[in-house]
Amino acid sequence: MPILSATNSKTSRGGYTPLLVVFLLSCFLLTSTPPVRAQNTENFLVQGKNALSTGDIETAATLLRKVPHPGIHGDDGSFAQSRMLLARMFFSVKDFAQATAVCQEILQFYPDNQEAKNFLTSISRESSPVYIQFFQDTIKFLPALAKGTVMTLFLVLLTIIISPVLGLLIALGRIGSFRPVQSLCWFVIWIFRGTPLLLQLFFIYYALPTFGITLQPITAAIMGLSLNYSAYLAEIIRGGIQSIDYGQTEAAKALGMTYTQSMRRIIIPQTYKRLMPPIGNEFIALIKDTALVSTIAMVELMRSADLLFNTYFNITVLILAALIYLAMTSVFTLTFEKIETIVGAYENR
Amino acid sequence: MKTDKTTPLIQLSGIIKRFGKLTAIDNVSLDIKRGEKLVIIGPSGSGKSTLLRAINFLEKIDKGEIRFEGTRVGYVIKKGRMTLDKPSRICALRSEIGMVFQHFYLFPHMTVLGNVMEGPLTVQKKTPEEARDIALAMLDKVGIVDKKDVFPATLSGGQKQRVAIARAIAMRPKLMLFDEPTSALDPELVGEVFETIRSLAKEGMTMVVVTHQMGFAREIADRVIFMEQGTFIAQGTPQEFFSKHMNNERIKNFLDKIL
Repeated sequence: MPILSATNSKTSRGGYTPLLVVFLLSCFLLTSTPPVRAQNTENFLVQGKNALSTGDIETAATLLRKVPHPGIHGDDGSFAQSRMLLARMFFSVKDFAQATAVCQEILQFYPDNQEAKNFLTSISRESSPVYIQFFQDTIKFLPALAKGTVMTLFLVLLTIIISPVLGLLIALGRIGSFRPVQSLCWFVIWIFRGTPLLLQLFFIYYALPTFGITLQPITAAIMGLSLNYSAYLAEIIRGGIQSIDYGQTEAAKALGMTYTQSMRRIIIPQTYKRLMPPIGNEFIALIKDTALVSTIAMVELMRSADLLFNTYFNITVLILAALIYLAMTSVFTLTFEKIETIVGAYENR
Repeated sequence: MKTDKTTPLIQLSGIIKRFGKLTAIDNVSLDIKRGEKLVIIGPSGSGKSTLLRAINFLEKIDKGEIRFEGTRVGYVIKKGRMTLDKPSRICALRSEIGMVFQHFYLFPHMTVLGNVMEGPLTVQKKTPEEARDIALAMLDKVGIVDKKDVFPATLSGGQKQRVAIARAIAMRPKLMLFDEPTSALDPELVGEVFETIRSLAKEGMTMVVVTHQMGFAREIADRVIFMEQGTFIAQGTPQEFFSKHMNNERIKNFLDKIL
């Protein structure tokens, strides 16, 4: 029934004609000029909306198309509204041609309608091939992700400078014969290898202020990552040192070398080749673990991707972030393979 | 104590070394004179290597006294127990004693030249130029100077051992210890290593050699010691040793087995 309005739609069960009469009369009484025309077009719009909400797309399309052009009866905005609804409807069923046509219909009468213009862009974007969409999204999101990547790289680089040095010291402390240092190093490894990195970051950033130590997020992040990775590297380095034939130490001693000299000149240089694969592994894990510092107010790659994704709900962001992580880990893998062959050259005949 | 030509270079007295319940060296005393070539033989596990290693403090002794050029060295008594002296003193002593191992223990990450330069450079703090000159001279002496720029992995066993000898003598030691220097070598490579040791002996180097090569022992030794279960069973000049002691049942058995 085309003349039903929203206010009396419950009468659609039957017997609505008397009510309609009452409604029309009241309208007539309230305003001197009866808004018949306006009411008609509004009815098409409202009915169309209702049909849409029940999922009856075809009926909705027919009803919405009945909302007349503004030129005929003056303008109450219902035309643009109905056509936008149509456009969105066609868009949602991926009928991009019809959606475009409807939008252009609006622009015919309202050449400055921004909503229609924007929607046309969306349609052309959505209807363009996937790779073009991806390319356009990449241009859109890459600058923000690049910023995050710089921060991630900064964290990674600082950690791979600090943690091997600290790790070596802890390893030497473990190997050495001075008991208190031995125990301390054991304890440090026990703590930082035995608890989740996430927990350590939380502790450093959120719990230390309770003890009067307040750190910048970046300081806390570098501390957490470095300590955690030092603990792992310490055990790797210790294993590396202890895997060197004891005869090497004896040969160094027999020459009259001190402990420090034999470590520095003879033992540690021989561990490089053996340490490269496991340390490479750790550093690749590190690149990914930097994502955890996003929990302590650091904006690095993962956090940037997360923010963008929550704003645009565009999976391209996630794909781009994954590609950037892959690029970084690939560079590390190749670099470490190269270093391994260089430092191990003496073993090749 | 005064040092003169008659003072033994090394004097060991009452040396006892235990590994848990096992007594590896059981109250051994030994004087090594300057220029003497001492060969120690004996079955495996008899304590020969342990004794050799005790001389340059690679093995810590439990009791006894070691004198180097007449001065008591290496140990201090702390709370009634023998403790190794300060590391710097031990290192200084070791730098005067060269050692050659059964398994060479060349530094695999250094070239042949680097291996021989290492002692003079790092321990004696010589300049790279000086160390290089010494190393080249030593490599020339062991006849392997043409291999100076290769890594040890490319050398044969005999060549490795000669480089190891060059590395030891580059420190200009007063005493050389050889711990079964040819035991890990293929038979055809033994000769070149013995040739090198022989030439060192001719130069008057004091040396202690642990070996199973009786022919070599007889040829090079001033004195041969037979060791078993941590003690000296017999000793004497090679002539004495290989004639007189042949009637000793244990020595006879041992020699029969390896000859």
